[in-house]
Amino acid sequence: MATTTKKKLPVFEPPAGSLAHAPLGQGCFLGETERLQAPKLKEALATIKNWFRANSLWVMAYGTGCGAIELRPLVTSRFDFERFGMAMRPTSRQSNVLIISGYLAVKSLKRVIRAYEQMPSPKWVVGLGSCTINGGMYWDSYNTINRLDLYLPVDMYIAGCMPRPEALLAGFGDLMQRIKRGEANGWHHYLENFDWYKANQKKVITDWNMPDYNW
Amino acid sequence: MTEILDQIRQRFGAEWQHVQRPDLLQIGVDAKKVVPLLTWLKEHTPFVQLTHLSAVDWIEEGQFQLTYLLTDPTAHVSLMVCARIDRDAAEAESVSALWPQAVTYEQEINEMFGIRFPGSPRQGVPFILEGWDDIPPMRRDFDTVAYMNTRHPPRPGRKHTDPRAYVGQVFGERGFLHDD
Amino acid sequence: MTTEVVELNRWVQIWFGPQHPGITGNMSVQAWLEGDTFAGGVTHVGYLHRGFEKLMERRKFIQSFPIVCRICVPEPDTNEYLLAAALEDLSGLDTEVPERGAWMRTLVMEMSRLQMNLMTLGGHVGSMALGTAPNWLIALRDLILDRFEELTGARVYHMFITYGGVRRDLPAGFAERMEENLRTIEKKLPLVDNVIFDSSVFRKRAVGVGVVPEEWVDEMSLSGPIVRAMGLPRDLRKDFPYLKYPELDFEVVTAHGSDIYARAWVRRREISQSIDLIRQILGRMPEGPYCAKLPNMLTWTIPPGQTYVRAEATRGEMGYYVVTDGSDKMRRVHVRGPSYVHGVALLERMLPGTNIADLAPLMVSFQVCPPEIER
Repeated sequence: MATTTKKKLPVFEPPAGSLAHAPLGQGCFLGETERLQAPKLKEALATIKNWFRANSLWVMAYGTGCGAIELRPLVTSRFDFERFGMAMRPTSRQSNVLIISGYLAVKSLKRVIRAYEQMPSPKWVVGLGSCTINGGMYWDSYNTINRLDLYLPVDMYIAGCMPRPEALLAGFGDLMQRIKRGEANGWHHYLENFDWYKANQKKVITDWNMPDYNW
Repeated sequence: MTEILDQIRQRFGAEWQHVQRPDLLQIGVDAKKVVPLLTWLKEHTPFVQLTHLSAVDWIEEGQFQLTYLLTDPTAHVSLMVCARIDRDAAEAESVSALWPQAVTYEQEINEMFGIRFPGSPRQGVPFILEGWDDIPPMRRDFDTVAYMNTRHPPRPGRKHTDPRAYVGQVFGERGFLHDD
Repeated sequence: MTTEVVELNRWVQIWFGPQHPGITGNMSVQAWLEGDTFAGGVTHVGYLHRGFEKLMERRKFIQSFPIVCRICVPEPDTNEYLLAAALEDLSGLDTEVPERGAWMRTLVMEMSRLQMNLMTLGGHVGSMALGTAPNWLIALRDLILDRFEELTGARVYHMFITYGGVRRDLPAGFAERMEENLRTIEKKLPLVDNVIFDSSVFRKRAVGVGVVPEEWVDEMSLSGPIVRAMGLPRDLRKDFPYLKYPELDFEVVTAHGSDIYARAWVRRREISQSIDLIRQILGRMPEGPYCAKLPNMLTWTIPPGQTYVRAEATRGEMGYYVVTDGSDKMRRVHVRGPSYVHGVALLERMLPGTNIADLAPLMVSFQVCPPEIER
């Protein structure tokens, strides 16, 4: 049988002062946020690229609110959104659509921002339900936000309380059309107006303890 | 089933009592008698389950009311024990030693009302809110609309209609629940 | 052979964070792991807090009625019934609810229990990544949602059970269409049994896992399938009878073992029980008015009082504590959801010693529903 002995391994520390690192809050990698891609794409390639993107929207499995209850019928056999190329992915690194399914409590908003920034570009945000548009039923609540587009760039709103799976499919169809036409550029808008979004987010999230941009 | 109310009144004294339904008895006791009463009920009577623990803000009287709901699972009767505490120095004894789930209830009441339960673990640990910087929100002097207007202002262009005027016009006197 | 192991910090802290495909909703568990087993954990909620109780304090009674169903997202009818029952209890309106209204309320409650149990049974195996049964069961649940849409106008949030009765009458031909849907569900259930209860993967992962000791029932006020899976026949529809349950013929479903398998078994039997109850209700529905004559909703005041009403949700005992003070608004409404105990105190007590792969099935078997923990 193998015996284990606990022994301290030697640790070599680097010489003092040889490592420099950015303080938290200023962006951890290279001191910069993500940059927009330079507009070097050719026209024809852009159409093909958008066609590929629109027909394979992978949704991050994050049920942020009420609307998550209609996501299950949407995913499963009856309404089946997989025939449109959509799938549910468990992590933000493997998805490009974030569905905000209803109201957002401030505590949830902090995690949603982190998840959104961790998604690789191109990425889209779909606001499901009336709560994302103007606060909905909880307009006078002290804990839910009233306007989603102050904090995240929304590419498609689907109104309802809550929207039926057919309405969701129609909304996703519209989103795919917008992507194919090249109009859905929420992530560009986020990076171009980064300071405005960050100011709005920090106004409502009082205990900001994350780096400014989460890769 | 009201013998339990008489027994409580004899042993601990009561300020009021009421039978709301045959399965719901209510009694009001002094705040200092609550923990001895609940301990006696848990250990010597069939009322062993703590179903609910709540707080009510009686701001006009300057008091909080704590409500403990105990259930007898064999005879299927519930007993509501109500106690009033002062609103400014809001403090009450913890029952978390008797029932483990009381820790969660007391944590939430501390966060939402500002009532302290000395000795209860997790007092002051936020349970529902995060980064809250105002008074405890369930207190009646917290104005949720004013807070919403400063922190989460609505989209401009919103129209307001007084429900009284609208409902009276469209549906008449009886309101809108009937289509006959 | 000797191996040298560096002594590291003993526990690894991970967050089963709000975004997790295995967690039953938007809540998180901050857990400490020792190898593959949990050493402990803390439940974090609050990601879905809307401040319902504060909202209802500044709404008239009729304005509270549309928002109360959103307190528990997948099973809204229990909330509607409880608010109506609490205010009727305080205002004396409960004697005026007509017979047909009470029977229709029972019908809606049983339909709601049926659709929730169908989804949860799918979730039991869905959390173990066996995807066949959830696909079937959610499609079957959709048939019930179609009936809800025909009856109330909405699939998920019905706003149907109101003060004094229900909002509308049964449409013509409802009973025939319902019977057709129930037959479709019953035809599919043996296949579902085969896939779930005869599956060796489910048996290996569910039998003997997540055992809740019987002493905790009274200590922590547990209720619902967790208690019935221990063999204790506790069901609020029999113990604290409400609506028309005393006149219906059914037995409390129990199982033995108190593990995840037993709870899934209880839920499967309750699906059959709900189907049978719906048939009984539709067969005995009397004619007559479906709602009492209500006072003017804009000026309705209720005399001061406090009450607690309870109902058997699929998860356990759901209760509403309502206090009125003589005005036209509630002084205090406090929702006691079953997940308040099952999802926080019970889960944290069950964590030490549990394997990391068993957390998601455990949470689904407790049917932890985060919206009702933090309302």
